[in-house]
Amino acid sequence: MKIKFTYLTRYTMWLLMVMLTSISQITYAQTKINIKGLVKDASGNVLPGATIKVTGTSQATVTDVNGVFKIEVNDGATLSISFVSMATKTIQVNKSNTVVEVVLKENGKQLNEVVVVGYGTQKRSDVTGSVASVPKARLSQLPVTNVLQALEGAVAGVNITTTSSVPGSQPAALVRGQNSITAGSGPYVVVDGIPLSKTGGSLNDINPNDIASMEILKDASAVAIYGTNGSNGVILITTKRGSGGKPVIRYNGYAGTEDLAHILEPRDGASYIQKYADYLKQTGQTQTSPVPNASELPNYNAGRTIDWVKEATQQGVMQDHNVSISGGSPDVKYYISGDYLKQKGVVKGYQYNRISIRSNLDINVTDYLTIGTSLYYANNNYDGGRANLLFATAMSPYGNEYNADGTYTIYPMNPELLYTNPLLGLVTDQLNRSVNLNGNGYAELKFGGVLKGLKYRLNTGYTYLPTRNASYSGRLANTPLGAASASSSETNSYTIENILTYTKDINKHHFDFTGLYSAQRRRYFTTTGTATGFVNDELSYNNLGAGATQTSSSYSDRYALNSQMGRINYSYDSRYLFTLTARRDGSSVFGASTTKYGWFPSAALGWNISNESFLKNSTIVNSLKLRGSYGRSGNEAVSVYRTITTDGTVRFPFNGVSTIGVLASNLGNTNLHWETTQGANIGVDFSLLKNRINGAVDAYSTHTFGLLLNRSLPAITGYSSVLDNIGKTANKGIEVTLNTRNLDGKNFRWESTFVYATNKNKIVELYGDGKDDLGNRWFIGKPIGVIYDYKMTGVWQTGEDASKQDPGAKPGDLKFADTNGDGKITADDRVIQGQTSPKWTGGITNTFHYKNFNLSVFIQTAQGMLKNNADLNYADESGRRNTPAAIGYWSATNPTNSFQSLSYTNTRGYGYPRDASFTRIKDVTFSYVVPQSLLDKINVASLTFYVSGRNLHTFTKWIGWDPEQTFYTRGTSNSGANQSAFTADWTNNYPVTRTFVLGANISLK
Amino acid sequence: MKKYSIILFAVSVVIAFASCKKSYLDEKPYSTYTPLTLTDSLGFEAALVGLYNFESTILTYSSAQGWPSVWQVGTDVANATANQQGIEVPYYNYAQLTSTDGAASYIWGKYYSMINNANIIIDGVENPSAKIGTVGKNAADAEAKFFRAYAYNNLVTLFGKVPLVVHTLTAPKTDFVRASLDDVNAQIVNDLTFAISNLADLTAGTGKLNSQGKPVGRASKYMAMQLLAEVYLRMGKNDLAEQQAQAVINSGKFSLIKARYGVRAGGAGDYYSDMFVYGNERRAQGNSEAIWVLEQENPSSEVGGNTDAAQQRRVWGAAYYNISGLVISDTLGGRSIGRLRLSNWVLYGLYPTGDMRNSQYSIRRRYYYNDVTKPAIFGQQVPFTGPDTLYKICPSTTKWGAYDPNDVFGYAMIKDFMMMRLGETYLLLAEAQVKQGKTADAATSINVLRTRANAPQVTADQMTLNFVLDERARELIGEENRRMTLMRTGTLVERSLRLNSNDVQHPTTGLAAKNLLLPIPLSEIQLNKDAVLDQNPGY
Repeated sequence: MKIKFTYLTRYTMWLLMVMLTSISQITYAQTKINIKGLVKDASGNVLPGATIKVTGTSQATVTDVNGVFKIEVNDGATLSISFVSMATKTIQVNKSNTVVEVVLKENGKQLNEVVVVGYGTQKRSDVTGSVASVPKARLSQLPVTNVLQALEGAVAGVNITTTSSVPGSQPAALVRGQNSITAGSGPYVVVDGIPLSKTGGSLNDINPNDIASMEILKDASAVAIYGTNGSNGVILITTKRGSGGKPVIRYNGYAGTEDLAHILEPRDGASYIQKYADYLKQTGQTQTSPVPNASELPNYNAGRTIDWVKEATQQGVMQDHNVSISGGSPDVKYYISGDYLKQKGVVKGYQYNRISIRSNLDINVTDYLTIGTSLYYANNNYDGGRANLLFATAMSPYGNEYNADGTYTIYPMNPELLYTNPLLGLVTDQLNRSVNLNGNGYAELKFGGVLKGLKYRLNTGYTYLPTRNASYSGRLANTPLGAASASSSETNSYTIENILTYTKDINKHHFDFTGLYSAQRRRYFTTTGTATGFVNDELSYNNLGAGATQTSSSYSDRYALNSQMGRINYSYDSRYLFTLTARRDGSSVFGASTTKYGWFPSAALGWNISNESFLKNSTIVNSLKLRGSYGRSGNEAVSVYRTITTDGTVRFPFNGVSTIGVLASNLGNTNLHWETTQGANIGVDFSLLKNRINGAVDAYSTHTFGLLLNRSLPAITGYSSVLDNIGKTANKGIEVTLNTRNLDGKNFRWESTFVYATNKNKIVELYGDGKDDLGNRWFIGKPIGVIYDYKMTGVWQTGEDASKQDPGAKPGDLKFADTNGDGKITADDRVIQGQTSPKWTGGITNTFHYKNFNLSVFIQTAQGMLKNNADLNYADESGRRNTPAAIGYWSATNPTNSFQSLSYTNTRGYGYPRDASFTRIKDVTFSYVVPQSLLDKINVASLTFYVSGRNLHTFTKWIGWDPEQTFYTRGTSNSGANQSAFTADWTNNYPVTRTFVLGANISLK
Repeated sequence: MKKYSIILFAVSVVIAFASCKKSYLDEKPYSTYTPLTLTDSLGFEAALVGLYNFESTILTYSSAQGWPSVWQVGTDVANATANQQGIEVPYYNYAQLTSTDGAASYIWGKYYSMINNANIIIDGVENPSAKIGTVGKNAADAEAKFFRAYAYNNLVTLFGKVPLVVHTLTAPKTDFVRASLDDVNAQIVNDLTFAISNLADLTAGTGKLNSQGKPVGRASKYMAMQLLAEVYLRMGKNDLAEQQAQAVINSGKFSLIKARYGVRAGGAGDYYSDMFVYGNERRAQGNSEAIWVLEQENPSSEVGGNTDAAQQRRVWGAAYYNISGLVISDTLGGRSIGRLRLSNWVLYGLYPTGDMRNSQYSIRRRYYYNDVTKPAIFGQQVPFTGPDTLYKICPSTTKWGAYDPNDVFGYAMIKDFMMMRLGETYLLLAEAQVKQGKTADAATSINVLRTRANAPQVTADQMTLNFVLDERARELIGEENRRMTLMRTGTLVERSLRLNSNDVQHPTTGLAAKNLLLPIPLSEIQLNKDAVLDQNPGY
C-alpha cells in the first residue's frame, strides 16, 4: 500500500504544546521526541479510536474522540496507524516532523474490521458465521426514532417492515424468513452484552445517536451461542464509549417537517352525491333526498364542503437534539450523552417524545482489573388523544364538524350513528408513558503468569421498567357517563453473566476459548383500575374513586433463564478457521415434564484463501474467504404459564349483584418446549481489484421443527385446542452484499452498495397428519403467509348470464374463476395466489462525494408479495360512508371490470388480494463537511451540515394509502402486533410520512 | 495482588452459581387459579357461578351478529332481511347447511365446553377428598347435573346421537364415538331426577332467595322439572312429561301474570307486555311466571353485569332509525337493525282478534314520526313505502326492546333472558296431553293461556300438535328457540314449508328431512382421528 506523509506545519499550536511537554526522565541512547497527530478519513472526518503502534516495540496508543493522538517515541521511529475498514498506514517521524496529519483511506477490506459476535469480538477475517454489520452510514444523519427504521432494505437477510408510521411505533424485523408459525419471529436484541428482549424494553429505549455499531447474527452457527433465544436472529448493539483524552463535546441535531407521503383522497362533494344516487339506484331504492342523512342537507344546500382528511391531519414536525461528552484519562474513560427527541405526528393528536440519558464508564482499576458501567435512562412519552383517520375518510363532505357552541359534533352525519366525529379523540385525555432505567456493570480480570491469556468477566445488568397509562373519555367525546382508566406496570429484570475467555498462540496456532454461565430473571406486575359514572368531566383520570362503578385488575408473572455456553475458536496461520460452540439453556416457561434444558451446538469452518501463497500477491483478489457452518438454535416460543392448566375468573350477577365464578380456560401441556431451528450456511467474503469491489454472498437452508402450534382437539373434550410442539417449517435463501467504488478520483468519488436477499419459506408439517389448516390458511409446502382466495376475473356485466356459474349474481357483482371446473363457484374454488412476504428485497445506496459535499441516495424495494386491500370493499357501508375517489365502482354507465357495484355484498368473504410490491426512494441525504481550515478559525473540531429526506417517492401498483402499511377496516385489529405506543387497530390507521430535516453534527475541541 | 484477583474471581463465580437453585426454573402462576381451586365448597360455588356465566355467553354471543337469527329464520316464524349478517344464511338457504356450518360448530363446541365445566364440578364434589359437607355436596352436584342435562338435551335435540362424556378428561382424547340415544337420554333423565330431589325449592312470593338461601336466579327444582318435561316429550314419554309439567303447575309457586305490575305499571301497555320490560322480568321483581330468568345488569353500574354484547334487540327490532323523521327512543325500544322479520304467517294469520299477545304493546306495527326538529311531520304515521316495510319499519316483537340513554347506539343489549316461564309449562302440558289423545285436557291447558290473553277459547276437537305449536308461537314468539322446538317435534320441514316458504327477500329453499338434525361439525369428525364419528344422514 502506498504510504503518504502529510506534514502539517501549520498546526503550530500543537507544535507549541509538544515543545512544552516534559521530556522523559529516563535516558536512552536515542533522543525521545513527542509526536502529536491527527487521524482523519478521506472525507475529512476525524477518526477516534484509531490505533497507533510503534513498529518494533510494544508501545501503542489510540486517538481520542477528536482523532488526536500523542505519543513519545524514539527519534526516527516508524508509526503504524490502523483503523477498522481502513488501509493501515505507516509513517516515519523525526525531530523535524513531530506534528502529523494522517489520512486513512478505506481499504474496502472490511475483513480487518472488528465485529461483535456475542460474548466477545472477532476480527472480520476470522469470522466463520454469517454476521452482518450495519453500515455506519445508516446509523447517522437519518431522521429515525428507532434504529430499525434505518435498517429497512439496508442489510441483506434482515427484512424490516414498517407496518405503521404512528410516532413511536416500531417496525417489524425478520431475519432470514419466518421460522415460527405462531410464536414471535422478531430477533433477539442484546445491547452491550445484556439482553434487551424479554426485559420489557424495546429498541425505542435505545437512542440511535448512542449506537457505535450494530451487528446481526444470522446463520445457525452464529446464533447458536444464544441458544433458545437465537433462532430468529440476534441483533447486537454496542453503544459508544469514551476513548480517553481531552473532553470532546459533540452536538448532533436535526429538525424538520413531516407530511403525508400519499393521501388516498376521499370523494369530493359532487362525486359523493353521485355515489349516493348510484347506490340507491343499484339497491332498488327511490331517492328522496340528495344526501343520505338529514343533517347533511343544510351544508349541501349551502354548497359547503369539508375536507375531513385535512381536518384530521396537521403539519408534522420532527426534531432531535443530542449532546455527548466523551474523554477521560488512559485509565478512566467516559461517554455521557443526553438526547431529546420530539415528533409531532401528521394526524392530529399523535406525538412521541423521548428523553434519554446515557453514561458509559470504563475504569482500569489496576493493570489487571477493569470495571465499567453502562447506565441509561429513557423516558418514552406517547401521550395524547388522537384523531381517527379511518373515520375522517368515511365522513360525508357535507357532514357537520362543529356544534353551534364550537364543540365537535358527535355524529357529523346524524342520524347515521356508525361513524362518529373523527376528531372526538382529541377531546379525550390519554397518557401513555414508559421509562427504562437500566444499569449494567462489568468487571474484567486479566490474569498473568502461567495464566496469561485468561480473562474473567462478570457482566451484570439490571432493568427497571415502569409504564403508566391513563385515559379519560367524557361527554364531549360521546361517553355520557365518563369513563376513566389508569394502569401501571413494572418490570424488573436482571442478568448475571460469568464469562471466561482464554487466548493462546502457539506458533501459527491460535486458540480462543469462551465459557459462559449466566442467569436471567424477570418479574412483571401490573395493575389497572377503571371507573365510569362521573358527575362531570372535571377530574379526568385523576380520581377513579369519583366514578360510580369501578373495576380493578392485576397480573403478575415471573420468567427465568439459566444458561451455559462454550465456544472454541481455532485458527492456523490465519488461513484455516474453526469454530465450535454449544449452549445449554433452561427456561422456566418449559413444561414441568421436560428437563427444561435444551442443547444447541454448532460448528463452522473458514478458509482465508487469499492468505494462501498462491493468492497472496494477487492484484485481482485482495481477499477471499470461504465460510461454512452448521448448527442448531432455538426459539423459546412458549410464553409464561402455558404449560399449566388454568381456570379463568368470570362474573355473573344475581339479584343485581355480580358474583365471582371460575371456568376452565387453558388446557396446559406439561411437555412443551422450545422450537428448534437447524441449518447450514455457506458464504464467501471477497474483495477484488484493489478493493474496489468487495462484498459477501451467503446461501442458507434451515429447518425448524417442534413448532409450537395449537393442536385442535375435538370440542367434545371441552377444549378447542392444546398447545403442542408439532409443526415444521423450512427456509432457504441467498443474500448478496456488494460494495463498489465506481469512481475514485481526487475530488469526485462514487460508491455504491447493493443489497439483495431472497428467501423461500415453506411449511413442512403442521399437525403431524399431513393435512393443511384451511382455517388459518396454512398449507404444507407453501409459505406461512399465503393468499388463499377466490380468483377474481372481473365483474359481471349487464347481459351476461351468471345463472349457470354463479346463480344469483347480478351485474356489478364480482366474477370469480371456477378453478375446479365444476360449473359452480364454491369455497373449493379458492386457490393459493401468492405469498404475503416479499419474494425478494433489495436496496441500493449510491454515495457521491465531491470535495466536501456528499450525496447519498438509498432506494429500497420489496417485490413479489400479495396483500388484501381492505379499501376495495367497505362491506355494507359503501352507501353510508364516503369512499376513496381512486376506488371506483361498477355501474351500468361505467361497466368496469375492476370494481364492484355499490350494492355488492361480499358474502364469500373475498379478501381483495392485490400486488403489494413497491420500490421506494427511502432516504436522500446531502451533506457538507466544513473544511478544517475554516473550522480552525472558529475553534471547532468538525462540523457537518446535512439535509435529509425520507420516503420521497414510492413506485407501486397498489391503490391505497401505502402497500407496506397495514390499514385496518372498521372494528378490526391485530392483537398479535406488539406495540407499546398504540394498539394496532382501526383507530390507529396512520399514513406513511415524508420527512425533510436539516441537521448538523458539530464537535468542539 | 494476583492472589486477590483469584479470590475475587472465585467469590464472584460462587455468587453467580449459588443464585441458581433447582427451583429457579419452576413455574407458579401468581395471578391465575388452577384446577386446584376446586377442592372446597367455596371453589365449587365459584365453579357453579361459572356455569351461569357460560350459558349467558352463548346467548349474548356477538362475534356473529346474526346469531339469534339462526334459531328463527327459515322456520315458520321469521325470515332474514336485507340486513342479515351471514351466519344465518344456511338456515333458510339450506343448500348451504353443510358439515362446515359455523353456527352448528359453535353451538356444539359451547355445549361440550359446558359439559366439561359441569363434569369438573361433578367429579370434584364426588371425589371423597372434597372439602364439602353432604348437603352442600348434593346441592352442588345437582346444580352441575342440571346444566349437564341441559347441555345434553340441547345437543341431542340438535344433533341426535352424540358422544357421552360424563367425566372430565386429564389428557387429550381423540377416539370418541356417538352414544346411543337411549344412553344419552338415560343420563339426562338420571341427572335431572337427581337435580329435582336435591335442588332448592322456591319460597312463595317475591323473595330474593330460594329455600337453600341462594339467589332465586340459581337453579331450583322447578327448572329441572320443566326441563325434564321437555326431555320426556322429546323421548315420547308423554305421560311422564305430563306429570312433570303438572307438578310445576301444581307446586303453587308460580302463577300467570294477569294484572299490570312493575316499573311500567302506570304507563301505556298491558300486563302481558309488562313481563318483558327490563326491571319486571325476574321473580323478585314481581314476575310470578318466571321459572328461570338469566339475569343481566348494565356493566356501567354493575361490574360483570353482562357477558358479551347481546344482539337480540338488534336482530328482532325494526331498523326504524333509517327513516328520516324517526329518532331512536325508549318508547320505540332503542336502536335495532332488523336482521330478521316476523313471517307473514305470524303477522297476518296467527293471532285471533283481541289476543293481548298481538297488542300494539307486544307487536309494534305502526310508527309515528318522533323527531321534534321536524314539526311538519311530527306525530304523523310513517307511511309504508318500498323496502321500508321489509326491515326499516317492519312489524316486530317488542319483547327485546331496551334503551340505555347513555348508549344510544346500543351495540349491546342489557336485558334478562327469559329461559323458562309458566306460560310455557302449560304449552308443554298441552303437548303431552295432545300426544296422549287427551284433547279435552289439552284444550283446558291452552285455555288457561287464552283466558289470560283475552283470546277466544278453544275446544277439544281443535287440539292437534300443530295447534299447540301455533299456540307456542302466539305465546312465546321471540322467546323460544323456535328451530329447536320444531326439530324436537319433527315438524320443522312440514311447518316451515307450509307456513313460510315464499318470503320476498330470503325465501326458504332446500329444506329437507335431513335438516331435522344439524350436521356433526366436520372438524370434529376429522380431529377425532382414532375413532369414527358418524355424520348425520344427508350431510
